[in-house]
Amino acid sequence: MFSQKGLSLDQAPPISVVFRFFLQGALFGIVGGVLLAIYQNEVFDPASKGALVLTHVFTLGIMLSVMLAALFQMLPVIAGVKLTSPIKKANWVQYPLVVGIITLLFAFHFGKISWLYLLASVLLGGSILFIAFIMIEKLLRLSNHSSSSKGITAALFSLVLLVLAALYLTTVLGGYNEGVHYVEIKTAHYSFGLFGWIAVLIISISFQVIEMFYVTPPYPNIMGKYLSGGILFLLAIASIVSFFLPDIWAVCHLVLALLLVAYALLALKRLSQRKRPISDATVWFWRLGLGSLIVSMLCFMLGLFVQTAWVHTLAYLWFGAFALSIVFAMFYKIVPFLTWFHLSSQGYFTAPMMHEIIHPKTAKKHFWIHCSMMAALIMSLIVPQFILLASLLTILSFGWMGYQIVHAHYLYVKTQKEGQKFNY
Amino acid sequence: MKKITLDARELEHPKPLAMAINILKSLDDTNYLYMVHRKNPIPLIDLAQEHHFQVLSHEDDEGTWHILITKNHTADLKELLLV
Repeated sequence: MFSQKGLSLDQAPPISVVFRFFLQGALFGIVGGVLLAIYQNEVFDPASKGALVLTHVFTLGIMLSVMLAALFQMLPVIAGVKLTSPIKKANWVQYPLVVGIITLLFAFHFGKISWLYLLASVLLGGSILFIAFIMIEKLLRLSNHSSSSKGITAALFSLVLLVLAALYLTTVLGGYNEGVHYVEIKTAHYSFGLFGWIAVLIISISFQVIEMFYVTPPYPNIMGKYLSGGILFLLAIASIVSFFLPDIWAVCHLVLALLLVAYALLALKRLSQRKRPISDATVWFWRLGLGSLIVSMLCFMLGLFVQTAWVHTLAYLWFGAFALSIVFAMFYKIVPFLTWFHLSSQGYFTAPMMHEIIHPKTAKKHFWIHCSMMAALIMSLIVPQFILLASLLTILSFGWMGYQIVHAHYLYVKTQKEGQKFNY
Repeated sequence: MKKITLDARELEHPKPLAMAINILKSLDDTNYLYMVHRKNPIPLIDLAQEHHFQVLSHEDDEGTWHILITKNHTADLKELLLV
């Protein structure tokens, strides 16, 4: 991984920091699969507690965990940002985050137990805002920004705003606040979450990694310069205006959906322009993710004009497919590379090669498991019994991911114990 | 000095890094690595510097990076860049 600005090996985070956030994401994924079997088709009713619980298992348990892993790894690499004492910072974030997520899930499940909401708010708000502020502060100090560093900054601002909105919502749900602006804040909360945080972070990272990993032409300058900031600006304006004109969200969502479709089409075009088009599971994960984003945004736009529940459900399901596919694409690039690179830089002659850490066929098998999981989930909208198959495949998918992390860590430790070193 | 050329401009990440590290292992005082890349491979440069190689990284007007790495500290890499 490269940066125009510079990366010192001692700036890169210890491998354990990245691995443990990935493992946390995989474990919450398994929990999500189990909960899918418990709540079953109730999760498709947006007003149900099952939907609330599953949504937050996905957004906090899985997505936030892996995005923190990616940020700890990639901030020094693609933005030249040095996070001092990464292990200490990871501890300060990870432990309250895990307890906070579990507490929030219990709060959603059991309803109005005020102290659960309070505890979840303190733990989640404290840990997420703590790391987001640190990262933003470091990013704002950069003298030269790349499109990726600008986008990551915009995504982190969205994270802060969505957490602040969430804190308002939990005070209402916990009975601490009457919630006069509950609807407006809730719309702002999920809009910042889906568009400003998840989509912008993925877009920002893709500006760098699609070109670098797959040897494609670069994205157009105008997209790199303005897309991430533009999305944040639109969300911020809509959030303010919505207090006076609630329908502004429809216009905002329409524009955002069009922008994301344009981005996805361009990214797909870039992937088709690879100079060495070798079949690789990560490319297929990217293609599936970008295709899912397009379908999601088309459903999202349709849902603005047609008040049919399944259109909204499909929009969110395909958005989940988009985010998870990109997560797996990045996961299968980052984990083998990090393991091999850390061992090689330490001078281990017997460092396993990347394909020995995670074989390309293993990633391809996961791709098909992931596709099957998505197919079963969407089929369950028509044939409800498919939800149990979707649940099993979710557990298998994240169990697969978890095993790869444990296996890579095992090889890493084994090489450190038994490996032979060479002198450069 | 013997030049070992690695044109990494059309190689997918992380192959350039893996191939360059393999070449670094075989370098001695009589040769040097000349790498051409579309990006500045900072992890490689960093690794080489931490293992006491002499390194030169130069971006030309077309945005292509030229990286020279040698174990020989008396070698003039700026001069070798012109070779």
